[in-house]
Amino acid sequence: MTETLTWVFAVLFVLVVVAWYLTYTAARLDRLHVRLTGTVAALDAQLVRRAEASVELANSGLLDGATALILAGAAAQSLETPDEDGEIREAVESDLTEALSLALTSEVVDDLRQSGPLGVDHLERLSSACTRVQLARRFHNDAVTDVRRVRRKLVVRLFHLAGHTPMPGTVEFNDEVPPGLEP
Amino acid sequence: MRIGIVCPYSFDVPGGVQFHVRDLAEYFIGDGHEVSVLAPADSDTALPDYVVSAGRATPVRYNGSVARLNFGPVTAGKVSRWLDHGEFDVLHLHEPVTPSVSVLALLAADGPIVATFHTSMVRSRTMQTAYPLVRPSLEKIAGRIAVSEDARRTVTTHIGGDAVVIPNGVYVDRFARAPRRPEWLGTPDRPTIAFLGRMAEPRKGLPVLAAALPDVLREIPGLRVLVAGPGEVEQVTAGMPPGVAEACEFLGAVSDEDKASLLASVDVYVAPNTGGESFGIILIEAMSAGSCVLASDLSAFSRVLDGGRTGELFRNEEPAHLAQALLTLLRDPERRAVLAEAGRQRARHFDWSVVAAKIMAVYETVIEGRSAVLNQPASRWSRFLRGGLGR
Repeated sequence: MTETLTWVFAVLFVLVVVAWYLTYTAARLDRLHVRLTGTVAALDAQLVRRAEASVELANSGLLDGATALILAGAAAQSLETPDEDGEIREAVESDLTEALSLALTSEVVDDLRQSGPLGVDHLERLSSACTRVQLARRFHNDAVTDVRRVRRKLVVRLFHLAGHTPMPGTVEFNDEVPPGLEP
Repeated sequence: MRIGIVCPYSFDVPGGVQFHVRDLAEYFIGDGHEVSVLAPADSDTALPDYVVSAGRATPVRYNGSVARLNFGPVTAGKVSRWLDHGEFDVLHLHEPVTPSVSVLALLAADGPIVATFHTSMVRSRTMQTAYPLVRPSLEKIAGRIAVSEDARRTVTTHIGGDAVVIPNGVYVDRFARAPRRPEWLGTPDRPTIAFLGRMAEPRKGLPVLAAALPDVLREIPGLRVLVAGPGEVEQVTAGMPPGVAEACEFLGAVSDEDKASLLASVDVYVAPNTGGESFGIILIEAMSAGSCVLASDLSAFSRVLDGGRTGELFRNEEPAHLAQALLTLLRDPERRAVLAEAGRQRARHFDWSVVAAKIMAVYETVIEGRSAVLNQPASRWSRFLRGGLGR
Protein backbone atom coordinates (compact mmCIF):
# COMPACT_ATOMS: atom_id res chain seq x y z
CA MET A 1 0.00 0.00 0.00
CA THR A 2 2.69 2.45 1.05
CA GLU A 3 4.60 1.48 -2.05
CA THR A 4 1.69 2.45 -4.26
CA LEU A 5 1.37 5.75 -2.41
CA THR A 6 5.07 6.45 -2.90
CA TRP A 7 4.64 5.83 -6.60
CA VAL A 8 1.59 8.04 -6.76
CA PHE A 9 3.46 10.86 -5.07
CA ALA A 10 6.50 10.35 -7.25
CA VAL A 11 4.39 10.57 -10.38
CA LEU A 12 2.54 13.60 -9.03
CA PHE A 13 5.82 15.29 -8.23
CA VAL A 14 7.14 14.69 -11.73
CA LEU A 15 3.89 16.00 -13.21
CA VAL A 16 4.08 19.14 -11.10
CA VAL A 17 7.68 19.75 -12.13
CA VAL A 18 6.81 19.21 -15.80
CA ALA A 19 3.81 21.52 -15.52
CA TRP A 20 5.90 24.18 -13.83
CA TYR A 21 8.57 23.92 -16.50
CA LEU A 22 6.01 24.16 -19.29
CA THR A 23 4.34 27.21 -17.74
CA TYR A 24 7.71 28.81 -17.13
CA THR A 25 8.82 28.25 -20.71
CA ALA A 26 5.49 29.47 -22.06
CA ALA A 27 5.75 32.64 -19.99
CA ARG A 28 9.33 33.16 -21.13
CA LEU A 29 8.26 32.76 -24.73
CA ASP A 30 5.30 35.07 -24.24
CA ARG A 31 7.58 37.75 -22.82
CA LEU A 32 9.84 37.37 -25.83
CA HIS A 33 6.93 37.67 -28.22
CA VAL A 34 5.77 40.82 -26.46
CA ARG A 35 9.29 42.22 -26.82
CA LEU A 36 9.18 41.30 -30.50
CA THR A 37 5.87 43.13 -30.97
CA GLY A 38 7.54 46.18 -29.48
CA THR A 39 10.64 46.03 -31.63
CA VAL A 40 8.54 45.60 -34.78
CA ALA A 41 6.48 48.66 -33.87
CA ALA A 42 9.59 50.69 -33.01
CA LEU A 43 11.31 49.77 -36.26
CA ASP A 44 8.20 50.61 -38.25
CA ALA A 45 7.83 53.96 -36.49
CA GLN A 46 11.44 54.90 -37.13
CA LEU A 47 11.21 53.90 -40.78
CA VAL A 48 8.11 56.07 -41.20
CA ARG A 49 9.88 58.95 -39.45
CA ARG A 50 12.88 58.60 -41.74
CA ALA A 51 10.69 58.52 -44.85
CA GLU A 52 8.71 61.57 -43.69
CA ALA A 53 11.86 63.50 -42.93
CA SER A 54 13.12 62.60 -46.41
CA VAL A 55 9.91 63.78 -48.06
CA GLU A 56 10.06 67.06 -46.17
CA LEU A 57 13.65 67.65 -47.17
CA ALA A 58 12.79 66.86 -50.78
CA ASN A 59 9.88 69.31 -50.68
CA SER A 60 11.82 72.02 -48.90
CA GLY A 61 13.32 73.41 -52.09
CA LEU A 62 16.79 73.26 -50.58
CA LEU A 63 17.91 70.42 -52.85
CA ASP A 64 18.27 70.60 -56.59
CA GLY A 65 15.23 69.41 -58.57
CA ALA A 66 16.59 66.07 -59.79
CA THR A 67 17.92 65.00 -56.40
CA ALA A 68 14.68 66.05 -54.75
CA LEU A 69 12.72 63.89 -57.20
CA ILE A 70 14.85 60.80 -56.55
CA LEU A 71 14.60 61.28 -52.80
CA ALA A 72 10.87 61.99 -52.80
CA GLY A 73 10.24 58.95 -55.00
CA ALA A 74 12.17 56.59 -52.75
CA ALA A 75 10.56 58.01 -49.62
CA ALA A 76 7.06 57.75 -51.09
CA GLN A 77 7.73 54.12 -51.97
CA SER A 78 8.69 53.45 -48.37
CA LEU A 79 5.60 55.18 -47.00
CA GLU A 80 3.30 53.30 -49.38
CA THR A 81 4.70 49.83 -48.78
CA PRO A 82 2.88 48.19 -45.90
CA ASP A 83 5.07 46.30 -43.46
CA GLU A 84 3.43 42.93 -44.21
CA ASP A 85 5.41 42.56 -47.43
CA GLY A 86 8.65 41.66 -45.68
CA GLU A 87 11.06 41.30 -48.55
CA ILE A 88 9.58 44.07 -50.64
CA ARG A 89 9.77 46.43 -47.67
CA GLU A 90 13.40 45.50 -47.12
CA ALA A 91 14.22 46.31 -50.75
CA VAL A 92 12.31 49.59 -50.58
CA GLU A 93 14.12 50.69 -47.43
CA SER A 94 17.49 49.80 -48.93
CA ASP A 95 16.52 51.96 -51.90
CA LEU A 96 15.70 54.88 -49.63
CA THR A 97 19.05 54.48 -47.87
CA GLU A 98 20.74 54.55 -51.25
CA ALA A 99 18.79 57.63 -52.34
CA LEU A 100 19.74 59.39 -49.12
CA SER A 101 23.41 58.53 -49.60
CA LEU A 102 23.26 59.86 -53.15
CA ALA A 103 21.47 63.03 -52.15
CA LEU A 104 23.36 63.86 -48.97
CA THR A 105 27.00 63.92 -49.94
CA SER A 106 29.34 65.80 -47.64
CA GLU A 107 29.27 68.87 -49.94
CA VAL A 108 25.46 68.98 -50.08
CA VAL A 109 25.29 68.63 -46.30
CA ASP A 110 27.77 71.48 -45.83
CA ASP A 111 25.70 73.69 -48.17
CA LEU A 112 22.51 72.80 -46.30
CA ARG A 113 24.13 73.60 -42.96
CA GLN A 114 25.08 77.02 -44.26
CA SER A 115 21.68 77.65 -45.84
CA GLY A 116 20.16 78.60 -42.50
CA PRO A 117 18.20 77.20 -39.57
CA LEU A 118 15.69 75.41 -41.81
CA GLY A 119 18.38 73.33 -43.48
CA VAL A 120 20.02 72.53 -40.16
CA ASP A 121 16.67 71.47 -38.76
CA HIS A 122 15.99 69.11 -41.68
CA LEU A 123 19.43 67.59 -41.38
CA GLU A 124 19.09 67.03 -37.66
CA ARG A 125 15.77 65.27 -38.02
CA LEU A 126 17.08 63.07 -40.81
CA SER A 127 20.27 62.17 -39.03
CA SER A 128 18.39 61.34 -35.84
CA ALA A 129 15.89 59.22 -37.80
CA CYS A 130 18.68 57.37 -39.64
CA THR A 131 20.54 56.51 -36.43
CA ARG A 132 17.35 55.34 -34.81
CA VAL A 133 16.49 53.13 -37.78
CA GLN A 134 19.84 51.44 -37.24
CA LEU A 135 19.19 51.01 -33.52
CA ALA A 136 15.63 49.77 -33.99
CA ARG A 137 16.68 47.24 -36.62
CA ARG A 138 19.56 45.98 -34.45
CA PHE A 139 17.29 45.61 -31.41
CA HIS A 140 14.62 43.91 -33.48
CA ASN A 141 17.07 41.39 -34.87
CA ASP A 142 18.38 40.72 -31.36
CA ALA A 143 14.84 39.97 -30.24
CA VAL A 144 14.35 37.71 -33.27
CA THR A 145 17.52 35.79 -32.43
CA ASP A 146 16.33 35.30 -28.85
CA VAL A 147 12.87 34.14 -29.94
CA ARG A 148 14.27 31.73 -32.48
CA ARG A 149 16.65 30.22 -29.96
CA VAL A 150 13.88 29.52 -27.47
CA ARG A 151 11.54 28.24 -30.17
CA ARG A 152 14.16 25.74 -31.32
CA LYS A 153 13.95 24.06 -27.91
CA LEU A 154 12.47 20.55 -28.02
CA VAL A 155 9.90 21.23 -25.32
CA VAL A 156 8.57 24.27 -27.18
CA ARG A 157 8.16 22.35 -30.40
CA LEU A 158 6.79 19.22 -28.71
CA PHE A 159 4.11 21.03 -26.73
CA HIS A 160 3.44 23.59 -29.41
CA LEU A 161 4.08 26.38 -26.92
CA ALA A 162 4.46 29.05 -29.57
CA GLY A 163 0.87 28.58 -30.73
CA HIS A 164 0.27 29.85 -34.22
CA THR A 165 2.64 32.78 -33.98
CA PRO A 166 4.72 32.65 -37.13
CA MET A 167 8.46 32.07 -36.74
CA PRO A 168 10.04 35.53 -36.95
CA GLY A 169 12.88 36.26 -39.35
CA THR A 170 15.54 38.92 -39.09
CA VAL A 171 15.04 42.13 -41.04
CA GLU A 172 17.89 42.76 -43.43
CA PHE A 173 18.38 45.96 -45.37
CA ASN A 174 21.06 48.54 -45.82
CA ASP A 175 20.60 51.11 -43.04
CA GLU A 176 23.83 53.05 -43.34
CA VAL A 177 23.72 56.65 -42.24
CA PRO A 178 24.45 58.84 -45.31
CA PRO A 179 28.16 59.74 -45.34
CA GLY A 180 27.46 63.46 -45.01
CA LEU A 181 25.41 63.01 -41.85
CA GLU A 182 28.00 61.01 -39.93
CA PRO A 183 29.16 63.00 -36.91
CA MET B 1 12.70 61.18 -18.45
CA ARG B 2 13.16 59.06 -15.31
CA ILE B 3 16.29 56.97 -15.69
CA GLY B 4 17.46 54.24 -13.31
CA ILE B 5 21.10 53.22 -13.66
CA VAL B 6 22.58 50.20 -11.89
CA CYS B 7 26.31 49.86 -11.33
CA PRO B 8 27.48 46.45 -10.06
CA TYR B 9 30.82 47.62 -8.69
CA SER B 10 31.29 49.42 -5.41
CA PHE B 11 31.59 53.19 -5.40
CA ASP B 12 34.14 52.85 -2.56
CA VAL B 13 36.93 52.25 -5.04
CA PRO B 14 37.49 53.99 -8.35
CA GLY B 15 37.09 52.03 -11.56
CA GLY B 16 36.21 52.41 -15.22
CA VAL B 17 32.59 51.28 -14.92
CA GLN B 18 31.99 53.46 -11.85
CA PHE B 19 33.36 56.55 -13.61
CA HIS B 20 31.30 55.80 -16.69
CA VAL B 21 28.13 55.52 -14.60
CA ARG B 22 28.94 58.69 -12.64
CA ASP B 23 29.69 60.78 -15.74
CA LEU B 24 26.68 59.50 -17.64
CA ALA B 25 24.36 60.18 -14.69
CA GLU B 26 25.75 63.69 -14.26
CA TYR B 27 25.41 64.43 -17.95
CA PHE B 28 21.75 63.40 -18.03
CA ILE B 29 21.02 65.31 -14.81
CA GLY B 30 22.62 68.36 -16.39
CA ASP B 31 20.35 67.76 -19.37
CA GLY B 32 17.26 67.95 -17.15
CA HIS B 33 16.50 64.26 -16.65
CA GLU B 34 15.78 62.57 -13.34
CA VAL B 35 18.47 60.01 -12.65
CA SER B 36 18.93 57.56 -9.80
CA VAL B 37 21.97 55.31 -9.58
CA LEU B 38 21.96 52.12 -7.54
CA ALA B 39 25.38 50.83 -6.55
CA PRO B 40 27.08 49.05 -3.68
CA ALA B 41 28.87 51.38 -1.27
CA ASP B 42 30.03 51.45 2.32
CA SER B 43 27.89 53.52 4.66
CA ASP B 44 30.80 55.88 5.35
CA THR B 45 31.61 56.51 1.69
CA ALA B 46 30.52 59.99 0.62
CA LEU B 47 28.14 59.54 -2.29
CA PRO B 48 26.70 62.06 -4.74
CA ASP B 49 23.03 62.67 -3.92
CA TYR B 50 21.79 60.82 -7.01
CA VAL B 51 23.43 57.55 -5.86
CA VAL B 52 21.47 55.10 -3.72
CA SER B 53 23.61 52.62 -1.82
CA ALA B 54 22.70 48.97 -2.18
CA GLY B 55 24.70 48.16 0.93
CA ARG B 56 28.24 47.10 1.69
CA ALA B 57 30.24 45.35 -0.96
CA THR B 58 32.21 42.17 -0.37
CA PRO B 59 35.48 41.60 -2.21
CA VAL B 60 35.00 38.55 -4.43
CA ARG B 61 37.33 36.89 -6.90
CA TYR B 62 35.36 36.79 -10.12
CA ASN B 63 36.46 36.38 -13.70
CA GLY B 64 40.14 36.86 -13.09
CA SER B 65 40.21 39.84 -10.76
CA VAL B 66 38.95 40.85 -7.35
CA ALA B 67 35.77 42.87 -7.56
CA ARG B 68 33.79 44.44 -4.78
CA LEU B 69 30.29 43.12 -5.29
CA ASN B 70 27.01 43.04 -3.50
CA PHE B 71 24.49 40.18 -3.38
CA GLY B 72 22.26 38.15 -1.11
CA PRO B 73 18.58 38.26 -0.13
CA VAL B 74 18.81 41.56 1.76
CA THR B 75 20.32 43.25 -1.28
CA ALA B 76 17.71 41.67 -3.53
CA GLY B 77 15.02 43.25 -1.34
CA LYS B 78 16.73 46.63 -1.55
CA VAL B 79 16.94 46.37 -5.32
CA SER B 80 13.22 45.60 -5.60
CA ARG B 81 12.30 48.54 -3.37
CA TRP B 82 14.53 50.87 -5.39
CA LEU B 83 12.83 49.70 -8.59
CA ASP B 84 9.32 50.09 -7.14
CA HIS B 85 10.09 53.48 -5.70
CA GLY B 86 11.83 54.77 -8.82
CA GLU B 87 9.10 54.11 -11.44
CA PHE B 88 11.71 54.48 -14.13
CA ASP B 89 10.91 55.09 -17.77
CA VAL B 90 14.01 53.14 -18.62
CA LEU B 91 16.37 50.98 -16.60
CA HIS B 92 20.01 50.98 -17.65
CA LEU B 93 22.06 48.08 -16.27
CA HIS B 94 25.83 47.93 -16.47
CA GLU B 95 27.59 44.57 -16.70
CA PRO B 96 24.35 42.58 -16.30
CA VAL B 97 26.16 39.26 -15.88
CA THR B 98 28.24 40.30 -12.88
CA PRO B 99 26.94 38.61 -9.72
CA SER B 100 25.94 41.86 -8.08
CA VAL B 101 23.09 44.36 -8.06
CA SER B 102 22.87 44.47 -11.86
CA VAL B 103 21.80 40.87 -12.15
CA LEU B 104 19.44 41.27 -9.19
CA ALA B 105 17.84 44.27 -10.86
CA LEU B 106 17.57 42.34 -14.10
CA LEU B 107 15.75 39.51 -12.32
CA ALA B 108 13.36 41.86 -10.55
CA ALA B 109 12.72 44.42 -13.27
CA ASP B 110 9.93 44.60 -15.74
CA GLY B 111 9.88 47.37 -18.28
CA PRO B 112 12.22 48.81 -20.88
CA ILE B 113 15.72 47.59 -20.04
CA VAL B 114 18.97 48.70 -21.64
CA ALA B 115 22.22 46.97 -20.74
CA THR B 116 25.81 48.02 -21.31
CA PHE B 117 28.52 45.37 -21.59
CA HIS B 118 31.98 46.61 -20.64
CA THR B 119 34.00 43.40 -20.39
CA SER B 120 35.89 41.88 -23.24
CA MET B 121 36.54 38.25 -22.47
CA VAL B 122 36.15 36.24 -25.59
CA ARG B 123 37.10 32.92 -24.02
CA SER B 124 36.36 32.78 -20.35
CA ARG B 125 35.12 29.78 -18.45
CA THR B 126 33.30 32.02 -16.00
CA MET B 127 31.39 33.66 -18.81
CA GLN B 128 30.65 30.36 -20.50
CA THR B 129 29.09 29.11 -17.28
CA ALA B 130 27.41 32.37 -16.35
CA TYR B 131 25.63 33.29 -19.58
CA PRO B 132 23.42 30.20 -19.94
CA LEU B 133 22.42 30.54 -16.26
CA VAL B 134 21.06 34.02 -16.71
CA ARG B 135 20.00 33.66 -20.34
CA PRO B 136 16.23 33.74 -19.64
CA SER B 137 16.76 37.02 -17.76
CA LEU B 138 19.03 38.42 -20.43
CA GLU B 139 16.13 37.98 -22.84
CA LYS B 140 14.41 40.84 -21.00
CA ILE B 141 17.01 43.29 -22.24
CA ALA B 142 15.56 45.25 -25.12
CA GLY B 143 18.65 47.23 -26.08
CA ARG B 144 22.22 46.02 -25.74
CA ILE B 145 25.16 48.38 -25.81
CA ALA B 146 28.80 47.34 -25.95
CA VAL B 147 31.49 49.89 -25.13
CA SER B 148 33.89 48.54 -27.72
CA GLU B 149 34.19 46.12 -30.59
CA ASP B 150 35.84 43.65 -28.20
CA ALA B 151 33.01 43.90 -25.72
CA ARG B 152 30.59 43.45 -28.61
CA ARG B 153 32.36 40.28 -29.67
CA THR B 154 31.93 38.98 -26.12
CA VAL B 155 28.20 39.58 -26.45
CA THR B 156 27.90 37.91 -29.83
CA THR B 157 29.94 34.91 -28.70
CA HIS B 158 28.24 34.25 -25.40
CA ILE B 159 24.70 35.57 -25.79
CA GLY B 160 24.09 35.54 -29.49
CA GLY B 161 22.49 38.41 -31.34
CA ASP B 162 24.33 41.67 -31.47
CA ALA B 163 24.98 44.89 -29.59
CA VAL B 164 25.29 48.52 -30.58
CA VAL B 165 28.77 49.88 -30.03
CA ILE B 166 28.71 53.15 -28.11
CA PRO B 167 32.12 54.06 -26.73
CA ASN B 168 32.87 55.37 -23.27
CA GLY B 169 32.61 59.10 -22.89
CA VAL B 170 35.10 61.67 -21.67
CA TYR B 171 34.50 65.26 -20.62
CA VAL B 172 37.01 66.37 -23.23
CA ASP B 173 36.99 70.03 -22.18
CA ARG B 174 37.96 69.25 -18.59
CA PHE B 175 41.15 67.69 -19.91
CA ALA B 176 41.69 70.19 -22.69
CA ARG B 177 41.56 73.06 -20.17
CA ALA B 178 43.90 71.40 -17.67
CA PRO B 179 46.81 73.73 -16.79
CA ARG B 180 50.35 72.51 -17.34
CA ARG B 181 52.51 72.16 -14.25
CA PRO B 182 56.07 73.48 -14.52
CA GLU B 183 57.41 70.65 -12.36
CA TRP B 184 56.08 68.07 -14.82
CA LEU B 185 57.08 69.82 -18.04
CA GLY B 186 59.92 68.21 -19.94
CA THR B 187 63.02 70.01 -21.17
CA PRO B 188 65.23 68.87 -24.07
CA ASP B 189 67.72 67.40 -21.57
CA ARG B 190 65.18 66.15 -19.12
CA PRO B 191 62.10 65.02 -21.05
CA THR B 192 59.17 63.62 -19.04
CA ILE B 193 57.00 60.60 -19.68
CA ALA B 194 54.01 59.44 -17.63
CA PHE B 195 52.60 56.10 -16.56
CA LEU B 196 49.16 55.90 -14.96
CA GLY B 197 47.52 52.95 -13.25
CA ARG B 198 47.80 50.50 -10.40
CA MET B 199 51.52 49.76 -10.19
CA ALA B 200 51.23 46.25 -8.79
CA GLU B 201 48.79 45.02 -11.42
CA PRO B 202 50.90 43.35 -14.15
CA ARG B 203 48.18 43.90 -16.79
CA LYS B 204 48.74 47.66 -16.49
CA GLY B 205 52.19 46.98 -17.87
CA LEU B 206 54.58 48.84 -15.54
CA PRO B 207 57.03 45.88 -15.69
CA VAL B 208 57.10 46.17 -19.50
CA LEU B 209 57.93 49.86 -19.26
CA ALA B 210 60.57 49.17 -16.58
CA ALA B 211 62.19 46.56 -18.83
CA ALA B 212 62.33 49.05 -21.70
CA LEU B 213 63.76 51.93 -19.69
CA PRO B 214 67.44 50.86 -19.46
CA ASP B 215 67.74 51.16 -23.27
CA VAL B 216 66.13 54.58 -23.22
CA LEU B 217 68.13 55.86 -20.24
CA ARG B 218 71.36 54.88 -21.99
CA GLU B 219 70.52 57.34 -24.77
CA ILE B 220 68.68 59.97 -22.70
CA PRO B 221 70.06 59.77 -19.16
CA GLY B 222 68.00 62.75 -17.99
CA LEU B 223 64.62 61.09 -18.70
CA ARG B 224 62.08 61.54 -15.91
CA VAL B 225 59.40 58.86 -15.54
CA LEU B 226 56.37 60.13 -13.64
CA VAL B 227 54.45 57.19 -12.22
CA ALA B 228 50.97 57.96 -10.92
CA GLY B 229 48.77 55.33 -9.34
CA PRO B 230 48.18 53.47 -6.12
CA GLY B 231 50.63 50.80 -4.96
CA GLU B 232 53.61 50.10 -2.68
CA VAL B 233 56.68 51.85 -4.05
CA GLU B 234 59.23 49.51 -2.43
CA GLN B 235 57.43 46.47 -3.74
CA VAL B 236 57.47 47.84 -7.29
CA THR B 237 61.02 49.16 -7.37
CA ALA B 238 62.36 45.87 -6.00
CA GLY B 239 61.68 44.13 -9.31
CA MET B 240 63.05 46.88 -11.55
CA PRO B 241 66.30 46.71 -13.53
CA PRO B 242 69.16 48.72 -11.94
CA GLY B 243 69.02 52.45 -12.56
CA VAL B 244 65.37 52.50 -13.49
CA ALA B 245 63.98 53.23 -10.03
CA GLU B 246 66.21 56.33 -9.83
CA ALA B 247 64.61 57.75 -12.98
CA CYS B 248 61.10 57.21 -11.62
CA GLU B 249 59.19 59.74 -9.56
CA PHE B 250 56.27 58.19 -7.74
CA LEU B 251 53.29 60.49 -7.35
CA GLY B 252 50.96 57.98 -5.65
CA ALA B 253 47.23 58.06 -6.41
CA VAL B 254 46.42 61.40 -8.05
CA SER B 255 43.23 63.46 -8.16
CA ASP B 256 41.33 63.97 -11.42
CA GLU B 257 42.74 67.50 -11.75
CA ASP B 258 46.29 66.31 -11.19
CA LYS B 259 45.80 63.51 -13.69
CA ALA B 260 44.63 65.96 -16.35
CA SER B 261 47.52 68.33 -15.64
CA LEU B 262 50.00 65.48 -15.70
CA LEU B 263 48.74 64.32 -19.08
CA ALA B 264 48.85 67.87 -20.41
CA SER B 265 52.40 68.48 -19.16
CA VAL B 266 54.43 65.40 -20.10
CA ASP B 267 56.17 64.89 -23.43
CA VAL B 268 54.88 61.34 -23.95
CA TYR B 269 52.18 59.39 -22.19
CA VAL B 270 53.01 55.67 -22.23
CA ALA B 271 50.27 53.01 -21.92
CA PRO B 272 52.10 49.67 -21.82
CA ASN B 273 49.01 47.63 -20.82
CA THR B 274 49.34 43.97 -21.71
CA GLY B 275 45.67 42.97 -21.87
CA GLY B 276 42.29 43.03 -20.24
CA GLU B 277 41.56 46.46 -21.67
CA SER B 278 38.26 46.53 -23.44
CA PHE B 279 38.35 50.17 -24.34
CA GLY B 280 41.17 52.38 -23.09
CA ILE B 281 39.45 55.50 -21.78
CA ILE B 282 42.77 56.74 -20.45
CA LEU B 283 44.05 57.11 -24.00
CA ILE B 284 41.15 59.40 -24.82
CA GLU B 285 41.78 61.43 -21.70
CA ALA B 286 45.42 61.74 -22.71
CA MET B 287 44.47 62.80 -26.23
CA SER B 288 41.98 65.33 -24.83
CA ALA B 289 44.70 66.82 -22.65
CA GLY B 290 46.88 67.12 -25.74
CA SER B 291 49.56 64.63 -24.88
CA CYS B 292 51.37 62.49 -27.37
CA VAL B 293 50.35 58.86 -26.76
CA LEU B 294 52.51 55.76 -27.04
CA ALA B 295 50.50 52.59 -26.39
CA SER B 296 50.77 48.84 -26.77
CA ASP B 297 49.01 47.54 -29.86
CA LEU B 298 46.07 45.89 -28.06
CA SER B 299 43.12 45.84 -30.44
CA ALA B 300 41.16 48.18 -28.18
CA PHE B 301 44.00 50.70 -28.06
CA SER B 302 44.65 50.44 -31.76
CA ARG B 303 41.00 51.26 -32.45
CA VAL B 304 40.94 54.25 -30.12
CA LEU B 305 44.14 55.56 -31.72
CA ASP B 306 42.63 55.08 -35.16
CA GLY B 307 45.18 52.41 -36.12
CA GLY B 308 48.14 54.53 -35.02
CA ARG B 309 47.17 57.75 -36.80
CA THR B 310 46.51 59.65 -33.57
CA GLY B 311 49.16 58.01 -31.39
CA GLU B 312 52.13 55.68 -31.71
CA LEU B 313 51.74 51.93 -31.15
CA PHE B 314 54.36 49.39 -30.10
CA ARG B 315 54.19 45.59 -30.15
CA ASN B 316 52.52 44.44 -26.95
CA GLU B 317 54.87 43.03 -24.28
CA GLU B 318 57.99 43.80 -26.31
CA PRO B 319 60.12 46.16 -24.20
CA ALA B 320 62.72 46.49 -26.96
CA HIS B 321 60.15 47.80 -29.41
CA LEU B 322 58.70 50.10 -26.75
CA ALA B 323 62.17 51.53 -26.07
CA GLN B 324 62.80 52.14 -29.75
CA ALA B 325 59.43 53.85 -30.29
CA LEU B 326 59.87 55.97 -27.17
CA LEU B 327 63.33 57.12 -28.22
CA THR B 328 62.10 58.07 -31.68
CA LEU B 329 59.27 60.14 -30.19
CA LEU B 330 61.42 61.83 -27.57
CA ARG B 331 63.89 62.94 -30.27
CA ASP B 332 61.23 64.27 -32.63
CA PRO B 333 59.20 67.17 -31.15
CA GLU B 334 57.48 67.85 -34.47
CA ARG B 335 56.16 64.33 -34.72
CA ARG B 336 54.92 64.64 -31.14
CA ALA B 337 53.08 67.85 -31.97
CA VAL B 338 51.46 66.27 -35.04
CA LEU B 339 50.26 63.27 -33.04
CA ALA B 340 49.01 65.44 -30.19
CA GLU B 341 46.97 67.60 -32.56
CA ALA B 342 45.52 64.55 -34.32
CA GLY B 343 44.70 63.18 -30.87
CA ARG B 344 42.84 66.33 -29.87
CA GLN B 345 40.63 66.03 -32.94
CA ARG B 346 40.08 62.33 -32.37
CA ALA B 347 39.09 62.84 -28.73
CA ARG B 348 36.12 65.01 -29.78
CA HIS B 349 34.36 61.88 -31.08
CA PHE B 350 34.30 60.56 -27.52
CA ASP B 351 33.01 63.67 -25.77
CA TRP B 352 30.05 63.01 -23.48
CA SER B 353 27.82 65.28 -25.55
CA VAL B 354 28.24 62.89 -28.49
CA VAL B 355 28.16 59.68 -26.48
CA ALA B 356 25.20 60.58 -24.26
CA ALA B 357 23.12 61.57 -27.29
CA LYS B 358 23.68 58.08 -28.70
CA ILE B 359 22.68 56.46 -25.41
CA MET B 360 19.59 58.65 -25.25
CA ALA B 361 18.65 57.46 -28.76
CA VAL B 362 18.84 53.89 -27.45
CA TYR B 363 16.59 54.75 -24.50
CA GLU B 364 14.04 56.38 -26.77
CA THR B 365 14.01 53.49 -29.23
CA VAL B 366 13.48 50.98 -26.43
CA ILE B 367 10.78 53.05 -24.74
CA GLU B 368 8.99 53.48 -28.05
CA GLY B 369 8.86 49.71 -28.48
CA ARG B 370 7.47 49.25 -25.00
CA SER B 371 4.77 51.89 -25.34
CA ALA B 372 3.69 50.34 -28.64
CA VAL B 373 3.11 47.08 -26.77
CA LEU B 374 1.17 48.81 -24.01
CA ASN B 375 -1.09 50.58 -26.49
CA GLN B 376 -1.85 47.29 -28.15
CA PRO B 377 -2.09 44.90 -25.23
CA ALA B 378 -3.55 41.88 -26.99
CA SER B 379 -0.66 40.27 -28.79
CA ARG B 380 -1.44 37.33 -31.00
CA TRP B 381 -0.07 35.02 -28.38
CA SER B 382 -2.20 36.48 -25.59
CA ARG B 383 -5.25 36.15 -27.85
CA PHE B 384 -4.28 32.55 -28.45
CA LEU B 385 -3.92 31.93 -24.73
CA ARG B 386 -7.39 33.32 -24.14
CA GLY B 387 -8.77 30.97 -26.77
CA GLY B 388 -9.30 33.69 -29.32
CA LEU B 389 -8.35 33.46 -32.95
CA GLY B 390 -4.59 33.32 -33.21
CA ARG B 391 -3.82 34.11 -36.77
